[in-house]
Amino acid sequence: MTRIGVYVCHCGLNIAGVVDVEKVADYAKGLPDVVVARHYSYMCSERGQRMIQDDINAHKLDRIIIATCSPRMHEETFRKAVAEAGLNPYLVEIVNLREHVSWPHVHEPEKATEKAKTLVRMGVARAKLLEPLEKRKVSVEKDVLVVGGGIAGIQASLDLANAGFKVYLVEKAPSIGGRMAQLDKTFPTLDCSACILTPKMVDAAKHPNVTLLTNSEVADVKGFVGNYEVTVAKKPRYVDETKCVGCELCVSVCPVKVPDKFNENLTQTRAICVYSSHAVPKVAMINPNHCLRLRTKKKEVCGKCLQVCETKAIDFEQKPQKIKLKVGGVVVAVGSDVFDASEMAEFGYGRFKNVISNIEFERISDASGPTGGKIVSPQSGQAPKVIVFIQCVGSRDKRFHEYCCRVGCMVTLKQAVLAREKLGDDMAVYVCYIDLRSFGKGYEEFYGRARDLDVNFVAGVPSEIHGAPDGSLYFDVFDKGTNKLLEIRADLVVLANGLVPSADIARINELFHASRSADGFLLEAHPKLRPLESSTAGIFLAGACQAPKDIPDTVAQASGAAAKLVDLLSSGEIELEPLKAVVDEDLCSGCRICESVCPFLAIEMKSKKTDGEEKLRAEVIEEMCQGCGACSSACPTGAVQMKHYTEKQVLVQVQAACAEAEDKGGS
Amino acid sequence: MGLTDLMSMAKPNLKSREKILAKLGGRELVNCFQCIKCTSGCTALKLLELKPHEIMKLVNLGFVDELASSDIIWTCVTCLKCLQRCPQKASPYHVMIALRNLTVEREAKVPEAFMKAVSQILETGLAEAYQKVTTRKMEACDREGLKLPKISAPKESFQAAFLKALEER
Repeated sequence: MTRIGVYVCHCGLNIAGVVDVEKVADYAKGLPDVVVARHYSYMCSERGQRMIQDDINAHKLDRIIIATCSPRMHEETFRKAVAEAGLNPYLVEIVNLREHVSWPHVHEPEKATEKAKTLVRMGVARAKLLEPLEKRKVSVEKDVLVVGGGIAGIQASLDLANAGFKVYLVEKAPSIGGRMAQLDKTFPTLDCSACILTPKMVDAAKHPNVTLLTNSEVADVKGFVGNYEVTVAKKPRYVDETKCVGCELCVSVCPVKVPDKFNENLTQTRAICVYSSHAVPKVAMINPNHCLRLRTKKKEVCGKCLQVCETKAIDFEQKPQKIKLKVGGVVVAVGSDVFDASEMAEFGYGRFKNVISNIEFERISDASGPTGGKIVSPQSGQAPKVIVFIQCVGSRDKRFHEYCCRVGCMVTLKQAVLAREKLGDDMAVYVCYIDLRSFGKGYEEFYGRARDLDVNFVAGVPSEIHGAPDGSLYFDVFDKGTNKLLEIRADLVVLANGLVPSADIARINELFHASRSADGFLLEAHPKLRPLESSTAGIFLAGACQAPKDIPDTVAQASGAAAKLVDLLSSGEIELEPLKAVVDEDLCSGCRICESVCPFLAIEMKSKKTDGEEKLRAEVIEEMCQGCGACSSACPTGAVQMKHYTEKQVLVQVQAACAEAEDKGGS
Repeated sequence: MGLTDLMSMAKPNLKSREKILAKLGGRELVNCFQCIKCTSGCTALKLLELKPHEIMKLVNLGFVDELASSDIIWTCVTCLKCLQRCPQKASPYHVMIALRNLTVEREAKVPEAFMKAVSQILETGLAEAYQKVTTRKMEACDREGLKLPKISAPKESFQAAFLKALEER
């Protein structure tokens, strides 16, 4: 005979504002085996929890049903509370009266109350069949993997390395630094991006706990939280990293010109080059798509770099490497891309030389960029007399990306200030905007600084940009402030292109089972309470791969993700939920269907002797099983059962749902 | 209670707004965030004084009746630039057409040119009446003079179908 306690939570007015909680509690009292039924304003509060604990002791309760918010919210809270009172935590059943009842049925309180009663009846029916379960403990690897070597990856790596963990930092490009390395100055303080980033890049490379794997990509991920097996594919540089000193003699003799990706293809570099002036590691690399010898695969071709290299670092025989790592957890920090404005025909990006993107402006304005930091119109090479910035290009636009890019406004304000400071008062700067968002610490003050410097703000964006034969640009824009249609002629138009999910994000999603949100970025486990975790245990998110972010937010999230990973791995073992599959060998027919549907490769087929006959039987590898239930629902004989969600436990709920309300609990 | 336009003392009419939304068959109009792109590119703004963003806002606030009785909605030249470029897919063009249809429904005054175009189509099947052309020698020619075939009047079934399509609108 079970003794059940039912607790209906008001959740302030979130539930009680719609559902008649008193009626639900009264109804629960009449259900079979229910000994106590109460309702209270906040069950999750200290008093609410104590109420349950006291009842467990006073009434010898052995099953607890809490009709409250989503189990994602407080199931863990209530499990802990009953465990403190000596009851097995898996004898708690959560009935969701908020997300499933009061919120969606806010306009029909009577029906909502009836639904709440039905859900409680189902909970009671299921609770009787719950079994006590124990959490599983597994030991964990202490090494960690950070994917992506931008500011997010660098920050996370340094924090983890300082906490004593061995970090593998994998970066696709030949150098770490990422997007931030391409920027000139940073808002709102205008410190030079390189000055604050380069020391961190060097720190990461020199840290005894950090292993830098540049020019590398994650190729395969196996295992589960605490015990991931990762394969990293390291592409050949054709230059020995241990010998190259970064003198760039080879670059000066290489005859093949190649667009310079670091400079957004505004200049050319050579087929052998060092990625950027402050690359880490500062080592040359040969681009196999352009190098004459690598393309022709003939030993007698070119080889000029080979002749000048004093340290004999060049090695045309380098092969791709596969590196196997065992790590306990991962920080994914693969960043974002910049929107390609050529998708948006009306602004003429790609057609007009003097229409440039904001990231191209960064390179033009950067002292180590193609113009040595002189702001010029690309067509004439002269300093522009009129610069126009156009906001929200590719973002806040349902044709492309609906979200706000969160950095475009501040990037433009910074670039407008830089333009004014570098080009003096003898020129005009206009910003055509929809809404100007300067929400961060010191950002609104920075907006004020831009106004102080005579940056003109036009409330309205143009519909299209026209090019004049002399390379100048002109367009009409209606200004909300003056109620006038203005024509602006400019010799440089900078588009505030938004941030878009990285081209690699689909691959990352596949490798790490990290879900994506509707906007294409990686999805956090909870939008408010678990912003640093992905949907897969042990995989953490940092920086712009989760959503568009500026540098301060990126660094904060990276440090947070690192701290989360330390928290996960520091004790050397982790607890896993006992929700796993078990196989009844007598029922298993060895059909292998479960093996084929398991997404975690947690089922192994083993041959066993039964009645003197060799038979194939499924076996669950406990550490690998994530409790998804795919095998159980696929099993044709019912041999595979999920702990905590057995067939009986589920079916009895279905029966209770179908039973008439007057029937009080069904069969 | 509520909103009053102090320039004309007009009050919003939310029923008329609902009618416009029903004609549009979607609620994209409500998403307009006044980026002004439609007005910046409006062909009719340069010729006349059509400010599509104002029309969007007025309909959103419910000042529909003033618009439906105003000449301004008839000045749109249906170039469809606003439809193409609206970042919220709100299409001022479709709003303009919905306002015109509401006006016709209410049997309010429709500019003469539009009525002319309708009778023109009914009589000849052509949106534009054919005209005489002047040659380099300054001779005026009609189709007959140029030995072009005669254009016959449309079939009765066409007229019936055209009128039915108008009704349905």
